[in-house]
Amino acid sequence: MESFITELLTLLFAALRSATPVLAVVLGEAMTQRSGVINLGVEGQMLLGAMTGFAVASVTGDPWLGVLAACGAGTALSMVHATLVLGCGANQIASGVAVLILGGGLSAYYGIPFVGDKIDTLGNLNQTFVSDIPLLGQFLGPITPTVLITLLAIPAISIFLFRTRLGLRWRSTGESQDITRNLGHNPVPYQLAAIAFGGLMSGFAGAALAVDYTANWVEGMTAGRGLVAVGLVIVARWNPWYALPAALLFGASEALNLKLQSWGVDISPYLLATLPYLIPLSVLMLSYRGLRASGGGMPAGLRVVFQSAR
Amino acid sequence: MTTITQPFVRFGLRLLGGPTGAVLVMTATFVVAALAFFAINGRESIPLFQEMVMGAFGDSYSFSETLVKTAPILLTALAVALPARLGLISVGGEGQLYLGALFGTGAVLAAVDQPGWLLMPLMLAGAMAGGALWGVIPGLLKTRLGVNETISTLLLNYVGVLLVSFVVHGPWKNPNSLGWPATIEFPEGAILPQFFDTRVHMGLVFGVVAAIVLHILVTRSRWGLGLQVSRSNPRVGATAGISYERNVLIVMAVGGLLAGLAGIAEASVIQNRLQDGLASGYGMTGFLVAWLAGQHFLRIIPLSVLMGGLLASADSLQLYAQLPKASADILQALLFIIVLAVASLWARRREA
Repeated sequence: MESFITELLTLLFAALRSATPVLAVVLGEAMTQRSGVINLGVEGQMLLGAMTGFAVASVTGDPWLGVLAACGAGTALSMVHATLVLGCGANQIASGVAVLILGGGLSAYYGIPFVGDKIDTLGNLNQTFVSDIPLLGQFLGPITPTVLITLLAIPAISIFLFRTRLGLRWRSTGESQDITRNLGHNPVPYQLAAIAFGGLMSGFAGAALAVDYTANWVEGMTAGRGLVAVGLVIVARWNPWYALPAALLFGASEALNLKLQSWGVDISPYLLATLPYLIPLSVLMLSYRGLRASGGGMPAGLRVVFQSAR
Repeated sequence: MTTITQPFVRFGLRLLGGPTGAVLVMTATFVVAALAFFAINGRESIPLFQEMVMGAFGDSYSFSETLVKTAPILLTALAVALPARLGLISVGGEGQLYLGALFGTGAVLAAVDQPGWLLMPLMLAGAMAGGALWGVIPGLLKTRLGVNETISTLLLNYVGVLLVSFVVHGPWKNPNSLGWPATIEFPEGAILPQFFDTRVHMGLVFGVVAAIVLHILVTRSRWGLGLQVSRSNPRVGATAGISYERNVLIVMAVGGLLAGLAGIAEASVIQNRLQDGLASGYGMTGFLVAWLAGQHFLRIIPLSVLMGGLLASADSLQLYAQLPKASADILQALLFIIVLAVASLWARRREA
């Protein structure tokens, strides 16, 4: 029994670590969508963030500089989406795919010299007092800084969104641009900030993956995490608090995949690797049923995006 | 003097304001952007650009390679454009292509001893079924549960690629391939016909015929009209006996089927076997081409040739100028961004 609980807790904390990059994207994308803009380019922004973060960490030897650079890269790339959507009035889905391809291409192109480099990691809580806590210490020890930062972002975003005047306007922009305009507020700065914040978080997510979690750069290494995150935003009902369990879904499926392999389960690793896509997709299906009944907190301004093709 | 030139100037301005002007601005901006991209990376832009054009259309060999790349782009672009007729944004061409290759290969392996006249139709039927399946699933999710098709198709792409990896590393792996993850070579009877001693294959014919047939169906048939009604107002359509749900399934299935054909053509003609990395990226390129063409079936044909040229020249530049393969992705994305920006700005100006 005790070993079962230990095993379960190990799995949970492994899930938390592998969920962190996805969680960061879910939080950022939820904020973007709250302003009435959807950005599928987060996948590309995440890749560019991962590559830039890893490259900077490798060249300067300072992983924290890498994290900062990754945030910058993600934000910069998200401005392409902002220009197309807010500046030119282009279709948001198409623009997102363009950013996705651009981010994938840029990271593959400029990442070539850094493949196989070794970098210093950000460390973890093992060196601190936390690992001395009885019983829980062994689980809390391997937690890394990006996990903590991402977890702290949840209450911060929640307070901003639901407890400040600015957050109220942010949300109202997503519900109806017309009404926002009639109230004398220009929606564009809010949407610009929302896209930039999504860019920042996806860049950070890239660093969380490449600099912190794997300490490695491989072309296309995000493997759809950004796109899974866009789906999980719906599961999370655009609510930062629900983002954690939603992202843990991905983390748990990935941790389960690795765990089953280490247990020597006789299933092909390629089939097991479909779990992190199929499980979120299944939950998304269940989630949509509720969404249909109640509206489920979807920003009304987003419906327009989802319903127009061109 | 001014009175003589004035009509010309006015005509020129009107031309610039219309679609011709938009295309001119797009082309010019793209050429500048491509030259800038080469220059930023320390390359001699203009010779490299010339070499790119030559690498795509310079001689009969390079043009044949361009057409080889055109086929999957054309088919996957149709797989995007047809659902778009109903207002759906499917990005599932990649996964459908892989599923087509998977099911088509399954048929080949199951009937490997059969004569060509039986094997070939079985293979094509398998490919179409596989692709259609990967189109119908997001279609069903959309109609039954309302799941956004863009997200489900994107996620299913990854699953499709992994399923192919599964079979070529596992049950279908050729035991004599010395550890290389691939199926056995396709028998003679399962290789699609090719033309003029090049690698240009039947897939291109399938694509062109499908584009023309779809164009006629959508613009001239009752069903096509029904799609239009369904798209603009599903409820009105329903009162006229047009089922939106059924149309969603049809367009997703037919789109998937076409992408599936692209997949089996790649496996059969280009690779001669099913293996990892079958055709990475064609699905995304197809998505892009469908948008560049404004989801217009006939315009997709020349644009697929152009984009095939870009990919073919990227291959040759990789060989001769050591330009990384990713540069093709970057150039595609730049083109897409420019076209989206210019088209949206022009559309907005027309409204104003």
